[in-house]
Formats: sequence, structure tokens, C-alpha cells
Amino acid sequence: MNADATVRRETLYIARWVLALSALTQLVFLVAGWWDYTVLLGNLLSGCAAVGNFFLMGRSVQKAVTQDQADAAKTMRASQQLRSLGLFVVAAVGVALPCFHLVTVLLPLFFPRIAVAFRPMFKGKEDLNETQQPGR
Amino acid sequence: MLELAIGIILGCCALGAGAAMIAGIGPGIGEGNAVAKACEAIGRQPECKGDVTTTMLMGCAIAETTGLYALVIAILLIFFAPGRFVDILMTAIG
Repeated sequence: MNADATVRRETLYIARWVLALSALTQLVFLVAGWWDYTVLLGNLLSGCAAVGNFFLMGRSVQKAVTQDQADAAKTMRASQQLRSLGLFVVAAVGVALPCFHLVTVLLPLFFPRIAVAFRPMFKGKEDLNETQQPGR
Repeated sequence: MLELAIGIILGCCALGAGAAMIAGIGPGIGEGNAVAKACEAIGRQPECKGDVTTTMLMGCAIAETTGLYALVIAILLIFFAPGRFVDILMTAIG
């Protein structure tokens, strides 16, 4: 089953935000003089995990909406538990191995939440554009 | 005595991590309920599937953050806190 257009669009939106916020994190570390390769590696690991987690959540939602209510609830519960376990493993690897920076491993996990918080701002603009250019 | 103190620190950190992960159950239940209701909504108005899916994805991402907070606290309690607490104990007893 291919990813739905909605899931792809939203994942791309989240990925763009994660990329932008990761760049900002790198910049902050660079300016503060704490930057080394562990900061970059930690950010890469955790950023990929955050985007991957969102994409897998989208796939689960896509699958769940085709089922009946009880099965959909079960599917989402199982998916959430598995994804949490996956994130735990990623975060544990990032914290345990010395080649990853602790802060940049944990921080990007929250970037999708920041992206969602800013979503209404951009969603409002998209809706406005669609209203002004209905043929687009 | 020192071994006992270190044991208590490690045990409390592990218990704290376990207790923090209880918060990981909530998002699963919440997401399940949200998707079940979304199925109902799509069943009623199939033409709104895209909008409902988008809204639900955003809602699920917000719901998951609670679990992530718990996850981060648990990770810190397992990997980071014991060493720090033992260092503080060693410094205190000289």
C-alpha cells in the first residue's frame, strides 16, 4: 500500500520544519562554541527518527481509517506502542553512545510538535490562497 | 553502606523511569479513540476524508508529545541520572 497524498504532504511539511529547526540548533551550538561532530550526528539520528515516526504514524492512520471503529482503535494503539518503543531504542542508542550529543539527540524529537503548533498559521494562508485562486 | 546507597539510587532511578513510562499508555488510548471517531466521521461524509486525515494526523502528533516527554524523562533517569547522583553522593562523603 502506497502512502496517501495527505500523509506525504504532511510528512514533507514536518520534514521541512525538522530540517529548519535542526539547522537552527546547529547554528546555536556553533555560535555558542560547543559544536563538534557529535552535535551533527545526534541531530541527524534524532531528526530522521522524528520524521520517520511521523510518517509511520501517518501510514497507521491511513490504514486505520479503512477499518471499522474497534479495529481502528486497536491498530492505532498497537502502532503507538511500537513507535514509542522504536523511539526509545533510538534515544537510548543516542544517549548511550559517546558519538552522539545528549541534547541534540533528545531535542529534535519535539520538533514535529513545534511544526504542528505553527501549522494553523500556514494552513490559514493556504486556505486563503485556494480561495483567491480557485482554479489552481 | 556505600553499596546500599548506590543500590537505592539505581533502584529509585529505575522505578522513576518505569513510573514515567506509565504516561506512554495515554497517547495510545487517545489516538485510538480519535481514529475511531474519525472513521465514524469519514463513514458519514466520505468526501471529507482528506481534511479529516490531516486534522487527525496533527492531533495524533500533539497527543504523542505527552508520551515523548515521558520517554525523555525515562531515558534521562536510566542513562544520565544514576551517574550524576552517584557523583553527588561521592562528593558529599568525600
